[in-house]
This record gives sequence, C-alpha cells and structure tokens, in this order.
Amino acid sequence: MEAIRTKIDVFDRDRSPLAEQRETVFEARELCVFYGDQLAIDNVNIDIYRRLITAIIGPSGCGKSTFIRTLNRMTDLVSSARLSGQLRYRGIDLYGPGVDAVEVRRRVGMVFQKPNPFPKSIFDNVAYGLRILGMRKDLDERVERALRSAALWGEVKDRLGDSALGLSGGQQQRLCIARAIAAEPEVILFDEPASALDPIATSAIEDLMHELKRDYTLVIVTHNMQQAARVADMTAFFGLEVAPDESRRGVLVEYDETEKIFTNPSDKRTEGYVTGRFG
Amino acid sequence: MRELYATELEELESLLLEEGQLVDRAIRSALNALARDDLELADELIAFDDEIDRRYLTIEQGIPSLLARQTPVAGDLRLVLAILYINLHLERIADYCVTVAKLTKLSHDLPRDAASLEALEEMGERCREMLATGLEDFHARDVRHPQALVDMDRPIDRANRKLVDRFVAFGTDEQQRGWAMRMMLVSRCLERIGDHAVDIGEQTSYLVGGQFEEFTDASHPTPRPA
Amino acid sequence: MSEPVFSLRTSGRLRRRQLVSRMMGAVAVGAALLAVTVLVIVVVSVANRGAGALNLDFFTKNQPQGFNPKGGGILFAIVGSGVLVGIATLIALPLGVLTAIYISELAPPKLARTVRVALDITNGIPTIVIGIFVFTLLAKAHGQSALAGSIALAIIMVPLVARATEEVLLLVPTAQREASLALGVSRWRTTFGVVVPSAIGGIFTGTTLAIARAAGETAPLLFLTSLGSSSQVDANPLHPLQSMTLVIFEYSDQYDPAYQAKAWAAAFTLMCFVLLTSLSAKLALARYRKKLGG
Repeated sequence: MEAIRTKIDVFDRDRSPLAEQRETVFEARELCVFYGDQLAIDNVNIDIYRRLITAIIGPSGCGKSTFIRTLNRMTDLVSSARLSGQLRYRGIDLYGPGVDAVEVRRRVGMVFQKPNPFPKSIFDNVAYGLRILGMRKDLDERVERALRSAALWGEVKDRLGDSALGLSGGQQQRLCIARAIAAEPEVILFDEPASALDPIATSAIEDLMHELKRDYTLVIVTHNMQQAARVADMTAFFGLEVAPDESRRGVLVEYDETEKIFTNPSDKRTEGYVTGRFG
Repeated sequence: MRELYATELEELESLLLEEGQLVDRAIRSALNALARDDLELADELIAFDDEIDRRYLTIEQGIPSLLARQTPVAGDLRLVLAILYINLHLERIADYCVTVAKLTKLSHDLPRDAASLEALEEMGERCREMLATGLEDFHARDVRHPQALVDMDRPIDRANRKLVDRFVAFGTDEQQRGWAMRMMLVSRCLERIGDHAVDIGEQTSYLVGGQFEEFTDASHPTPRPA
Repeated sequence: MSEPVFSLRTSGRLRRRQLVSRMMGAVAVGAALLAVTVLVIVVVSVANRGAGALNLDFFTKNQPQGFNPKGGGILFAIVGSGVLVGIATLIALPLGVLTAIYISELAPPKLARTVRVALDITNGIPTIVIGIFVFTLLAKAHGQSALAGSIALAIIMVPLVARATEEVLLLVPTAQREASLALGVSRWRTTFGVVVPSAIGGIFTGTTLAIARAAGETAPLLFLTSLGSSSQVDANPLHPLQSMTLVIFEYSDQYDPAYQAKAWAAAFTLMCFVLLTSLSAKLALARYRKKLGG
C-alpha cells in the first residue's frame, strides 16, 4: 500500500501546499532542448524547491534524463545539444555568458544510474574531488563525514584503502553518493539511481535520500513510479507528444505534490500513466 | 494495458452491483413480509441473506488482494476504496433487512395498525429508490444528484419522527404497545437504510471528484432549503 | 504415434559435411603448427649458434683492438643501445600519449580519424626511409650522433605508443569521465586524474612493445650512428654510438669466425630481450584488460 502511505510532515503543516513554504532553487521558463534539429523537450516551465525531493517520471524518451542534465550543464557534453528559453539557478541564468559549467557542476552534483566508482581505493574515490577542488584541509574528516552521510562509513571504515571495485552494487552506489557529497554541492541530481540495484539496496538508497533531504535539494529521475511515490515530495510527469510530422518530444504534463499526482491527478494523461493504462 | 488488472476491477464492480440488486430484493421482501405478515417469506429472506454475504465476502477478500498485487493509484485507487465502503454499506443494509424480517416474526400475533404499516411501506420504497439512485450514479460515475439523495432522505426522517409521535399516542393496550415498539425498531432500521444509501452517494462523489465530502452529518443537520 | 514430418537421421549430406569440416580443421591446425614451428626453428638455431659465445666478458668488455684480437665483448653496444632506445623512449612516450589523448578525448571525429590514419601510415613507412629522412635533416649537416638515431627510433615508436594508448583510453568507460566531470572537475584534470591513471597499465605495455621494436631496428641507425666507437664505452648522445643491431650487422660480415660467433651471441641476446619484453607486455595487457573489463 505504498501509494497511499500518508506523509506526516505534510499533514502537520496543515495541508498547506509544500510549495508556498519553500524557496525556489531552479526556475525553468519555456525551456526547450534540441539535439541538432530534433526537439527533445518542449516548453518546460517548472520551479524546483529547496530541500525537497522532486521526482521526474514519464515513459521512455520523454526527456527526463535530458531535462535533469540541463540542471548541471551535462548537456554541454553532447556537441549537438542546444537550449532555448531560460533556466535559472538561484536567480542566475545557468546558460548565460560568463557562467562556468565547471563551477555549476560543483554546486549541482550528480549520481548516475549505474554505479561508476573510480578504480581507486575507497578513500581516494571520496577524496578525488576534494583534492582537485583544493579542499585538502582535514581531508580525513571530510571523507569520513561524506561516508557517514552516505550511510556507508560503518561498512568501510576499516578498509578505506581497499579498491572501490570490490564493494557490492549498493555499496558502490552509496560510495558514488559520498563522492558527490564530499564536494559539498547544494543540489544532488539522481539519474535513475536505483534501477541497477536489487530491492534491498534500493530501499537503502531511498532511506538515504530521506536523510539527505535535510541538507540538500534532490532531484531524481525514475522510471519506477512506485519509487517516486515512496520518496518524492513533488512529482513532475513528463509525457510524450507526437507532432503532426510524427516527431516526438517531451513535455511537462503535470507537476504537483506527489500525493495529489497519485491519488487525484488533474490531467488525464497523468492518470493514464500512473495507473499504467497507457505507456 | 494491464488487461488483467482492468478486468479484475471490472469484475469487482460487477459483483458489487449484483450485490446491490440482491439487497434491493431483500428490502422489497422485507417490506412484503411485513405488509402481509408472511412468516414464510420472512424466513426465506433470513436465509437469502447468505447469498448477499457470499458476495460481500468475495469483495472483502478481493480488495486487499488487488491492493497488494496491483498497487492501484489515482482513479483506480479511489474506485477500489469506493467499492470497499459501498460493500460495507450494502452489507449493513442487508442486515437491517434481516432485522426487519425477525421483527415481523416477533410481532406476528399482535394487533396491527394499517396507517403505520402504510407509512412504513412508503419509507421502505423511498429507501429502495435511494439505493437504486446511489448505485446507478456510482456505476455511471455521475455526481449530478448528491443533493437529490439528501432530499430523498428527508421524508424518511420525517416519517420516522411522525411514527414516533403516533406510537406514543397508542395508549394503554399492552399488545398494541408491544407491536408499536417493534414497529418503532422497524422504522429505525428503515431510517438507517436510508442513511447508508446517502453514504453510498458520498462514495461516488469522492470517486469522481477526488474530494471526500459528507452530504449529511448527524452532528450538523442540513438546513432546509428556503 | 504419428509419422515425423521431417527426419533427423544422418544422411549422405551430413557425412560429406563432416568430412569437409574435418579437412578444414586439419588444414587450420597445420597452418598454425607451421607458424609456430618457424618461430621455434629461428629461436633454436639462434640459441644454438649464439649460446656458445656467451660469457661474462661478452657482456662486460669492449671490442679488443689490433690484429688477431681475442676475447672482448660488446659492452659498448649494450650501452649504446640503451642510450639510443632510452632517449627515443623519452621523446616518443610523451608524444605518443599526448597524441592518443588528443585523438580519443579532444579531437572532433573527422580530425581524429585523419590523425589515426597518419599514425598508421607512419607505422608502415620503411624504417630505412625514416633513416634517410633524419639523415638529411640532421646528420648531413652535423654528422652522425646517437641523438639523430634516437630521433629516428622515436619516429618509429610514436605510432606504436599512440595506438596502444588510444586503445586503452577507449577502454576506460565513459561513465568514469562523466563521474569526474559531474563533480565539477575540468576536462583536462579529468583526463589526467581519472582516464590516464586508469589506462596506465596499457600505456606501460604499449611503451614496452615499442621499446622492443626500437631495440631491434637496424636500418635507420646505419646512416645515423654507425660510426660509433667500439673500443670504449661512450654514453654521450651527441656522439655516434654503436647499437646491438649494428654490431650484429658488422660482425656477421667479418671473416673471423670469432666475430661471427659474437654476432650470433649478440643476436641471441637481443632476441631474448625482445621475446621477454614482448611476452611480458602482452601478458600484462591481457591481465589489465580483464581488470578494466570486469
């Protein structure tokens, strides 16, 4: 009965919308992303709020990954990618002139679908970012703090020098989270963070996200609706629109509190997707 | 997509509507048994309750199974919850019918008052109307009539109160008073059946609108329209 | 029981197929055996003829002077080869690795393809041609030197180092680069902090193979450093220096059987060196590939 589990914090706040009490971290206005001539996502308008977990759900090809990668300028890595519209991070235009993508990525970290630790030791994985970004003071403490925040310290504290590749999938993913946290970002993006993991490891990651929410803003892309229902405060549903010329692009269909999306969505398309009646 | 799931939902709803039909027959039979002082019919009705209970249990068991296996959300979830509650209301109505049948048996040899019986008959018919409307609206996902159900309930409550006044005036005859007390209980049963029918209407409103509203609340009597 | 629609029993067609199959198998095995046999014959005959002249003096003394000289060794050539290959490696390693980084990480695909083709062509240029080229550039004006020889060897080595490095750079999963970039680490630091360290095993192997190849080169050195001293050890790269391969070339031309024996011995030593380094490099690469892939 995960879909109708009540969230105590929402109740306590007298049922006032989560949105009204939060600052906006990201603001997208008429955001479109093109790959060459192909429109991948069209006219997205969304506000992402601070210290909430926002889930992006939708069918394959609806542009969820594309959208999340605009938030940390990883779309820059695709040479044919182009944006129009506006994307602001705390009021600053992310794609404006003079904005350094590397700086953006320091503040907006990312954890990927398949765990990708470096073939270095556990310690060096976490310390990697710290060393390069010049945060070398108290390296040991910072590494420990990051590993604790990622709920991994207890399991690895006696073998920090071991290769990271010897950890299990779930542990590796938590290591990647620790690595991202060590660099002290403000936002952490998760691109299908648990799709490569078994249910127990997935649960551990989800519990971790609830903890992380206290200090970070989280945005997760997931194709697992139940995960979004379990974990997210706000849910955005991206749907696929087919243009007259048969080209398909992603659009933001509905964005609301998770509870509403899963008990009484406003848009028929959202209803069709979450009930699984239409792909 | 999710053909099996859609079929399961449809089957649950069908079974519920079938149960509704059976409950309607039960109300009719209870009224007939009372009007004609027909003990045999009363017994038949009491036995018939098993048929209703069977369907009730099937739905009762089907719901947790569906919830666990298919994790319904949004409209589907509200439908399952509506089925759950309507199922309960129908079962309660059926129980009240059995009570009426038992009361009919208990008051078999006592002197009867035609006017009271007429009033009870009318109350019963009104209940059947309300139940039919409630279930039709549920099936059609139609919320145009919520107020109508409340309106239909009012005469039943009025009739109930009138009967109280009438029975109080029955006087000193012990047998008459005995009959009157039992008919009082019958009236009470019919009044409760009406309430359950209104509750069924509330479920439809929740199902369609996504918001739960109480049409009538015992602690806040609805004001009469001007 | 109904009749089967088709039959699975053996037929004449099957038997013919089996015969052809067996014949092809035998031919393949034969070819492989031949290839291996050739190697074995070479190794055995060189060993046979060379092992006899191997002694301590061979490795520690220089060529004796005067007529009817006896004994002596090829220490000068060993040192010479060391200097020649050493300097060549110093030039080729960074050049090759950086080229590979350019091709695999930075260049637009068309440009990368062009550079790759250029490297392959360079790899195929006859080494004697490379020798003449460097000769015209350097040795003609300034005379012979080991440095010129090293430059020629480096030209031969760069394509090998670059291609081997590129191969292992490509083996490093994109996910690693993405992970580093997503941390807010710049492109360059990602390359040198994550990609190259991951690829280091392969780079090492590629370099080792290139060294093995360079150590065995003769043709370009003929022009560039053949006038090196044979009577004393010299390590100055500005002087011409003898190499093992030159020694094999020159000694085998002598009438004195003692020299010929020394030539075989030198050949045997060089062959052992090349075999050992090639084999260990290949083994290391295989193990390394498994580690990256797993």
